[in-house]
Amino acid sequence: MSSPFDINGGACIAMVGKDCVAIACDLRLGMQALTVSNNFPKIFNYGPSTFLGLTGLATDVSTVSDLFRYKVNMYRLREERNIAPQTLANLVSSSLYEKRFGPFFVSPVIAGINSTTGKPFICGFDSIGCIDFAKDFIVSGTASEQLFGTCEGLWEPDLSAEDLFETISQALLSAVDRDALSGWGAQVYIIEKDKVTKRLLKGRQD
Amino acid sequence: MTTLTGQPSSEAIGYSFSKATSAPIREHSFYPYTDNGGSTLGITGSDFAILAGDTRSVAGYNINSRYAPKVFKIGGDDETGEGAHILLSVVGFAADGQALKERLDAVVKMYKYQHGKPMSVMACAQRLSTIFYQKRFFPYYVHAILAGLDEDGKGALYSYDPVGSYEREQCRAAGSAASLIMPFLDNQVNFKNQYIPGSGEGHALEPKKPEPLPRNTVEQLVRDAFTSAVERHIEVGDGLQMMVITKGGIEEIYYPLKKD
Amino acid sequence: MDKLVAQYSRPPHQDEFYSEQEQRELTESLPPLSLKFNLPPVDDSRAFLRAMTDDHSNPNCPIKLAHGTTTLAFRFQGGIIVATDSRATAGNWIASQTVKKVIPVSRLSRGEDKPSNEPTPGLLGTMAGGAADCQYWLRYLSQQCTLHEIRHKRRITVAAASKILANLTYSYKGMGLSMGTMLAGMTPQEGPALYYIDSDGTRLPGNLFCVGSGQTFAYGVLDANYKYDLTEEEALELGRRSILAAMHRDAYSGGFINLYHVKEEGWVHHGFNDMNPIFWKTKLEKGEFSNVTSEL
Repeated sequence: MSSPFDINGGACIAMVGKDCVAIACDLRLGMQALTVSNNFPKIFNYGPSTFLGLTGLATDVSTVSDLFRYKVNMYRLREERNIAPQTLANLVSSSLYEKRFGPFFVSPVIAGINSTTGKPFICGFDSIGCIDFAKDFIVSGTASEQLFGTCEGLWEPDLSAEDLFETISQALLSAVDRDALSGWGAQVYIIEKDKVTKRLLKGRQD
Repeated sequence: MTTLTGQPSSEAIGYSFSKATSAPIREHSFYPYTDNGGSTLGITGSDFAILAGDTRSVAGYNINSRYAPKVFKIGGDDETGEGAHILLSVVGFAADGQALKERLDAVVKMYKYQHGKPMSVMACAQRLSTIFYQKRFFPYYVHAILAGLDEDGKGALYSYDPVGSYEREQCRAAGSAASLIMPFLDNQVNFKNQYIPGSGEGHALEPKKPEPLPRNTVEQLVRDAFTSAVERHIEVGDGLQMMVITKGGIEEIYYPLKKD
Repeated sequence: MDKLVAQYSRPPHQDEFYSEQEQRELTESLPPLSLKFNLPPVDDSRAFLRAMTDDHSNPNCPIKLAHGTTTLAFRFQGGIIVATDSRATAGNWIASQTVKKVIPVSRLSRGEDKPSNEPTPGLLGTMAGGAADCQYWLRYLSQQCTLHEIRHKRRITVAAASKILANLTYSYKGMGLSMGTMLAGMTPQEGPALYYIDSDGTRLPGNLFCVGSGQTFAYGVLDANYKYDLTEEEALELGRRSILAAMHRDAYSGGFINLYHVKEEGWVHHGFNDMNPIFWKTKLEKGEFSNVTSEL
């Protein structure tokens, strides 16, 4: 019996550039070796420039994304403002820790730009909510080892939005091509101060 | 002692209702392998081949040595490896690697003494495969890479799994950080996922064709690959040993890596 | 007297050199290429091997062997089509995308990969299961086939060659070998012949086989479109399309499509082509694979 994290497959990655951040995921949903769907995005939007990527067990990816949609909507109604990425990070962390002894099998990634400070923000979590604040990049999913290698090799500080797109795309595509359980196309979000660009990548279909 | 099963453990109380007082027979399983970690990497060019490996040797979380070479010269005339024309890198269980290297070295030397000419890399590659397969049911816990120059003087690189399946390739990473290094190499050596800018729009974009890289580019890629791996893998570090084989002979380069 | 002297004297240099055999024994504990294998010093060597190498029952086993495949071969009026993918996986890690899973058998010359439009005489073997097992035993089979050719002055039949391999795998049954191979060839005695041999000792003649983790996907396409009367063009395209379907849906198959055609005069190689451009061509020009999104 394989780990719940490895049943459906998938990969997600977030990167910081100069006054911009990027978050990208693959599109595969599988059941072990069988590819069931090639249109299963793992990135969810929770504000004008706040994104959450979820990899792991697909049922938990859906459940957790819906749970946070509810929580973020409640936050917006109560506070009458959009949630900041830092706030979402703490919300994700405490919500995951509530399930300390029966966790959701997900590895979340957050990317966004704080609307008050204008600073880029990324972070990652383990399945019970330990936050990993990073200045460079965060990876998660079945291809995480491969992603660490490509990101460490390709990433450099202060990339422009266009260069950041190229870097994150090359890092993701090369990494998932060495993982049997992820790939089959990819989505990339480039988040700038007041602009979000979503792009679809043509990836290998094997 | 607190238990979650509700039953107090008999050890804690100090007596037992069970009949047998002797401890159950302990079975020690036969486990003859240790993973000594580390990583190796090989890339070929049009007239050279580079084989590199880090020099850390670990057992669990302990560092056994900061200078334990993983790349060896095969078929040399003396213990310095002078006159060798084949390189072998081994990563996995160091003792098996050492045994494998010594056996291949003996085979290549005997070939030269008996036939009066050095063994070709292609022949050596197949011989190494059979050496691995001799131990199919008690494998060498080793991922090997063999490098040299083929009959046309081109760089030749052969990679092996632990029981001897082998394949000639342009580049290969092996060992504990292979999963970090290999996708980077696919991208930078074989230009996977790279397209020629301006060659078309959308589906019409033409992929970039791989071509043999010049030596200084390859050396820089090897260094980059290892400095990246050192950042993210605890079993890789200390030093980078690089061997370059050209028709002029074998050159060895040492390059320090982070020791943390 | 001379006789007596000869009896108690030796030629002066008798012990100066080791014989070739002795030299070998000095450097190796076993004679080269022997079929005696080292076994671990434990009672149950099979259980040991399984604990060390079987990543199916133990995902954390220390030695991960290369696995995973889609291969197919079928007979039609123009001969036999053999097609494979090229991926090797160890767990979820893709160890290689460029494995040559079609292995020429019954000739020991090395010109295999030289581009040539001339048919090359001999059999073809395919590789599924353990990569090393297939490579080694098909190499062993090549040796046996070449010896057969030398002894009998004619090429071995596919039936005989497949029997050699099946007897071999049967003798190692239960030892942990893992191979599912197809032997294809054309001889004057048999015409086009196709056999399936696996590590359980099975040996089956047949018209159409798919082997490996992606076999069901390949069978789906192949069975739906297979006819014995296919033209050469149609047959090659069907082989290619079946492998493509398996590569797309099976995570452990992918890479390059390796296509061969076995004819009366020998086999012809029809390329080792990356699946990705072929996939997008099939999708965009023929409208197949509509499940894949190509627009945001």
